[in-house]
Amino acid sequence: MSVTDIQVTICGSAGDGTIAAGDILKNTMASIGFKAIAFDLFPAEIRGFGKCVSRTRISSEPVYTLKPEADVLISLDDTHALAHIREAREFGVVIHEECPIAPAAEGSQVAEYIEPGHLPYQLPMRNMSEQTTNSPRSRNMVALGFLAGLLDMPRDAFHATIARKFRGKAKEVSTQNVAAFDAGFDAALAVFKLDDVRFRAPAEGAETGAAVMTTGNEAVVRGCLDAGIDSFFGYPITPASSILEMLAKDMPKRGGRVLQTEDEISAVGATVGAGYTGSRAATSTSGPGLALMTEMIGLGVMAEIPCVLLVSQRGGPSTGMPTKTEQSDLNLAVYGGSGDAQRLVVAPTNVYECYELAGYAFELAETFQTPVIVLLDLYLSNRHESVALPDDPPFALTAGKGLSEHDPDESYQRFAAAADSISPRAMPGEAGGIHTITGLEHGAEGRPSDSADTHAEMNRKRHDKLRGALAYRDLAVTERHGDAGKVDVGVLAWGSTYGETLEAMKQARAEGIRCAAMKVKMLSPLPTAAIEAFMDDCGAVLVPELNHEGQFANLVMSQTGRPVARLSYTTGEPMRPGDILREIRHLAEGRGPRVVAQGPNAAE
Amino acid sequence: MADTAAQPIYLEDRIRKIEESGRLKHRSKALPTWCPGCGYYAMTEGVTLAVERLNIAPKDTVIVSGIGCASRFPFFMNAYGFHTLHGRTLPVATGVKIANDRLTVLVVGGDGDGFAIGGGHIPHAARRNIDITYLLFDNGIYGLTKGQTSPTSVVGFETKTTPYENRDVPLNPLMMLLSYGASWVGQAYAGHPHFLADMITDAIAHKGFSYLHIMSPCVTFDKTTNTYQNLGMKVRPMPDDHDPSDRMAAMALASEIDRPAEGLLYREDRPTLSDNLDAIIREAGGTPPPHRQPAAAE
Repeated sequence: MSVTDIQVTICGSAGDGTIAAGDILKNTMASIGFKAIAFDLFPAEIRGFGKCVSRTRISSEPVYTLKPEADVLISLDDTHALAHIREAREFGVVIHEECPIAPAAEGSQVAEYIEPGHLPYQLPMRNMSEQTTNSPRSRNMVALGFLAGLLDMPRDAFHATIARKFRGKAKEVSTQNVAAFDAGFDAALAVFKLDDVRFRAPAEGAETGAAVMTTGNEAVVRGCLDAGIDSFFGYPITPASSILEMLAKDMPKRGGRVLQTEDEISAVGATVGAGYTGSRAATSTSGPGLALMTEMIGLGVMAEIPCVLLVSQRGGPSTGMPTKTEQSDLNLAVYGGSGDAQRLVVAPTNVYECYELAGYAFELAETFQTPVIVLLDLYLSNRHESVALPDDPPFALTAGKGLSEHDPDESYQRFAAAADSISPRAMPGEAGGIHTITGLEHGAEGRPSDSADTHAEMNRKRHDKLRGALAYRDLAVTERHGDAGKVDVGVLAWGSTYGETLEAMKQARAEGIRCAAMKVKMLSPLPTAAIEAFMDDCGAVLVPELNHEGQFANLVMSQTGRPVARLSYTTGEPMRPGDILREIRHLAEGRGPRVVAQGPNAAE
Repeated sequence: MADTAAQPIYLEDRIRKIEESGRLKHRSKALPTWCPGCGYYAMTEGVTLAVERLNIAPKDTVIVSGIGCASRFPFFMNAYGFHTLHGRTLPVATGVKIANDRLTVLVVGGDGDGFAIGGGHIPHAARRNIDITYLLFDNGIYGLTKGQTSPTSVVGFETKTTPYENRDVPLNPLMMLLSYGASWVGQAYAGHPHFLADMITDAIAHKGFSYLHIMSPCVTFDKTTNTYQNLGMKVRPMPDDHDPSDRMAAMALASEIDRPAEGLLYREDRPTLSDNLDAIIREAGGTPPPHRQPAAAE
């Protein structure tokens, strides 16, 4: 059975339609049953001619990371594409402009940088665009059509996607884009076909349209909506702003209330107030906003209030790198705030889990009466994966012990002792449950108390109750992949890095290394039993993560007492599977663990 | 007065009258811990009388307090209470109200909680016209932490943090709230407890964001400036000819800080935040849910 696995990189300048072309490509592929993962790079400035890069990997099998090399490179702007020529693999295709608009300076054309082994296709994109649409603006569609024709992709599927994309606009927009696309497609039909880059429709007739290209943020929003989110308070911050914006649009349609607050403190403050009052409430932010929110999180922990925080990490510390990805807010999410303020922290590893964990967060918050942080990152927020979200969401729309579980003949105590350390929770408006909550330490009835016994007892209660989250309903907090039983090297990863981990593990096993990987979806409390069982099977354990200090490695080591090898670096880009593979090989050769924190290109 | 001869006041009669009034159902069993003579006693009685007069059930009342001497306020009342963080009462109260419009939400805090650390939240609560009542207790000092200057302390005030006398010009809270677009702005004085109770009643009854500025002494840490004697001499009745629908006239009154007028400075009626959020829901094609009230077992 032949497998399709093609990665297309499109480079252009802002305004060339680079991202739009990638958008049409990935949505078309998803609509005919392919799995796809895509991640775009935007210029840092709002105006100007900055570089855009759209990368899409199309496969007949599930994929969780982009390949380091592209099978096809399309240049819509040679100036920007020059830096990416090497990204096209040996025997990869390079499609570029045949007729530059003006005499070009030497060394400024892609044509001069084609490597031996590349398969170049020069295309008069500008002329073809002018001929079909009277404007050079559709060069991107000409190039995309050419690629589709070259690879025998179904023309109609592209037409359908283009029509859908420009649905709300004037008819000519759609017809012009289709005309430009067809011009490129027809030109390709006459061209020498490649044997090497193969395109095969999926073997089984895939349920067309079941999978939709979705970003992490879109999946988070769907999870919130499917879990019945009732109120949302947010403050704009890259890369989480789109969560607030999408909910601002969708929640009112379902009777929900959304408020853009004046800052992150008031956003989480309102979330806590609404959660206390019985509303399914959430806020969203990134690292700098989470830092502001820590005091309120402490209040939520101390007063046992359900609330959800959706956090997408970016380059730090401080203002950091707002448009680059990183995993350096683990410490903040797990530990941030004064005192022993443990809370629930879950971390999705792919776009589907963004949906799953955002949805489960609300019932977790209500069941365990505590803040829940869903910790994703910019790479997950902004990347597209083809996912099929369930028609019948798995989330419980109500959860947690309510006032009805309190014996009405007894006087009500908000923080009454219980076998599972979770007390029946009364909400404002309910008769028979009047109480006051406070950030001060308090006794069972909620009144302030700083006695030694009370504080020890309450700290124990607040921590013990969270243990139940490790085995909550059908939510798996760890998953193991790869070789079963004893292995030479085990990789323990969290967040988006798990995608690259799977890729590296696959290649390591192909090289004959016995290798397994475990993803950890709950960071607090940490599933130490499952992690230790995994480590028992491994000759050596590697923890790869996108931060400088090895925050997850530190967490694992501090809670299991066992050493791990680390691969910790911060380039602002997703981790490279090749770097993880290199460390796996190193460990498999029995050369012992080494700390790698200086960069991805460390010498062997 | 019906008769002019002084009548003896019998304690038992007085207590029986208070019990018969029914308003003690709004008080908890906990005895207040404020200093004897503190204005918070008048404020507590005022709130008790107000919710009784307005027939608001304890279970439908939420009292949100900040950090300061106001902190313990909810514990002395029989109502749902939330003692929150310093300066963050308004965001929390916003969340409470948005979650359930049927609740009467009262916010209590001091001048430091409100205008120092909390200052950034006040404009937005006011301009959004959130239907909550903000009872601001202004004694020009930080009392709970034992006597430091606050944003409303007068120039020349000597405290532990200004041993060489305060030089910073104090804020004018009433002017600020009027410029923030608050739809109800009033002023009262803890030394006039009956009038204070009336003002609290009106503030709660108003549909929209009500700001009641309550002048009070800190009897323990300010023996020189905002005493009952000095405040009693400064406070004057609201001029009869003041038109509370005239914002500029209200600001003129607010600027007369040496002769603060007690009463209603300004009021207007306009859609509340909840009104607007429900209008948005309808415009989006949704239905406002009936409303976010947990099933009550009476």
